Amino acid sequence: MTSAVDDVDPRMPVGESAPEDGPPRVGSCPLSARDLTVSFGPVIALDGFSVDIPRGIVGLLGPNGAGKSTFIKASLGLLTPENGAVFVGGLDTRTQSLQIRDGVGYMPEHDCLVASMNAVELVSYFGMISGMLARDSIQRGHEVLDFVGIGEERYRQIRSYSTGMKQKVKLAQAIVHDPPLLFLDEPTSGMDPKGREEMLELVRMIGSSDKTVLLSSHILQEVESVCDHVVIISDGKLVQEGETKALIAGEEGVQSLTIRGDEGGMTRFVRILGEACEIVEAKEEGGKQMSLLIRGCGDGSQIFGLARDSGVQIRRYHPERLDLEEVYLRSFRGGGKDGS
Amino acid sequence: MGVDPIRYRPWKGERTALNLRVYVILKSIFRHGLKSIGVKILLILSFLFVYAFGFMDVILFGSETLDAEKMSSNFNAFNLTLFAMLLAAVITSDLISEDLSSRSFVLYFSRAIKTRDYLVGKAGGAILIMSLLCFLPPVLLAVVSILTQSGSDYWSSIKVLGSTMVAGALAAVFFVPYGLMLSSITNRRSYAAVGTFMSFMVLTIISEMFVEIDPAWSVIGPARSLSAAVDWIFGLPSDIDGGALFAFLALFIIVPAVVLYWRVQRKAVGR
Ligand SMILES: Nc1ncnc2c1ncn2[C@@H]1O[C@H](COP(=O)(O)OP(=O)(O)OP(=O)(O)O)[C@@H](O)[C@H]1O
Ligand SMILES: [Mg+2]
Repeated sequence: MTSAVDDVDPRMPVGESAPEDGPPRVGSCPLSARDLTVSFGPVIALDGFSVDIPRGIVGLLGPNGAGKSTFIKASLGLLTPENGAVFVGGLDTRTQSLQIRDGVGYMPEHDCLVASMNAVELVSYFGMISGMLARDSIQRGHEVLDFVGIGEERYRQIRSYSTGMKQKVKLAQAIVHDPPLLFLDEPTSGMDPKGREEMLELVRMIGSSDKTVLLSSHILQEVESVCDHVVIISDGKLVQEGETKALIAGEEGVQSLTIRGDEGGMTRFVRILGEACEIVEAKEEGGKQMSLLIRGCGDGSQIFGLARDSGVQIRRYHPERLDLEEVYLRSFRGGGKDGS
Repeated sequence: MGVDPIRYRPWKGERTALNLRVYVILKSIFRHGLKSIGVKILLILSFLFVYAFGFMDVILFGSETLDAEKMSSNFNAFNLTLFAMLLAAVITSDLISEDLSSRSFVLYFSRAIKTRDYLVGKAGGAILIMSLLCFLPPVLLAVVSILTQSGSDYWSSIKVLGSTMVAGALAAVFFVPYGLMLSSITNRRSYAAVGTFMSFMVLTIISEMFVEIDPAWSVIGPARSLSAAVDWIFGLPSDIDGGALFAFLALFIIVPAVVLYWRVQRKAVGR
């Protein structure tokens, strides 16, 4: 894979969204992976993973061991892929990782703070290692610590901090140099519900200032509440991706229908319904009730007619709307909502 | 302690060039080292036990020119080695082990820092502190001696000053790679510190024991080999074979440096 984008400034990932037709060009997204394969000995952590991460807050969702952290590390150029490539702002991680790293911030999932330093020292020190001048980095260090909500405790050694405070300092060191692209690996891990909400609010605020944030998590509600876009990964493979709104909205034209009646009536109804339109999915719920996903059944008057004829009751009938949990579960059942 | 209602503010300042970042690490280590009480005490004690006599001699009695033999003995190689071993153990022990135990490695290497920069920064900071013991005082001593000399042969004095600088630099560098290597092998500071000091101690003891049987053994004793190296730099005769000495010094600096690089490189990639 070649890219003719050597003069792209890594601090300015070109972010126009992919053209409508055809696959997006490499370099048109802040971050894209092509056929990425990374393994640790016999364990294949990423298996031909391809994705284009658009601007905004993007959730990287997947169960434990799915390969989320591996993808982030590969994007930073910390792991060398066996195959494939990752491009950050058009730069290739295999050859331009130093340039790339100057324009990204990384909050690792595990503990990584130097316990003997205090928060101001740590954040400004790593600011300087990112190339800030001493004066700038101290001032900016205080600013980001204010932002994440670390108060006077910033002068205490980090070893005395609670998990929640450590998470905030980890975030602070990732944003001190104001990178346009931010990797947050499970930023809320170990935090209580209030701390989580605060952390997510911080992510929202960062995201609203025109940055790309890749947030890895296995908590669906979190991703649903802050992310504009979701990438679902499992066993090192891309399972599904799309705008959160679109994923949750379900597929256009698909209606969700719940009926109630005796067994014979319901069987009859499903049979004639299947002749009139397409049944995407049918699920029995305890013998007396069924829920269906259907497509192409017009405005619904026909369905009510059929129901009357078969002696079943319509309990619910509305356009399909899922929560992310449903999207997630469906993507693991193998059949996404498009039935493939 | 809720989230402050302040918004995220972008920052649009200048960044320094990539190759300047190593000085950030170096400076931080130097500053941090000088803040430590233990390092201060060691520096003061070492000055008293290693160089005080030489300074007194120059100031009280002066000399005609700075001569090699005198300057070489001013290094006081045995005392110097003892203090240098201690100081190296104290300052190098946490330089890498702390990053390993806290896993802050990843905070460095997710930034635009190469393994080489990281190591040059860490080793440079340590060598700078070691110079306060091994380089600065002898050079100062030589300069004072030249300024107060009664004779007029400045050229030969300056040559000795040059040798002093080389010998001081060698002593400042000598103990650092080994200490850093041990620091990169364990993630407990105390193991690295004790390990560094004890390794030098054991080598000293072995060489002292066997040197009675065969003088060639003296080469593995840090004090004896450093002393011989200093003599060699000053162009004085020495009872240690030059080739063996050179091999030992190279072994003591190069092998640890290679192991160190390999360890850090392995840790820096996320495997
Ligand atoms: N350093 C390593 N050595 C060996 N195997 C590894 C290493 N790092 C990751 N793996 C393996 O690679 C796979 C993917 O791991 P990864 O950490 O990317 O998962 P994840 O999606 O981040 O999971 P989690 O939600 O638990 O953080 C796992 O099977 C893991 O065991
Ligand atoms: Mg992970």
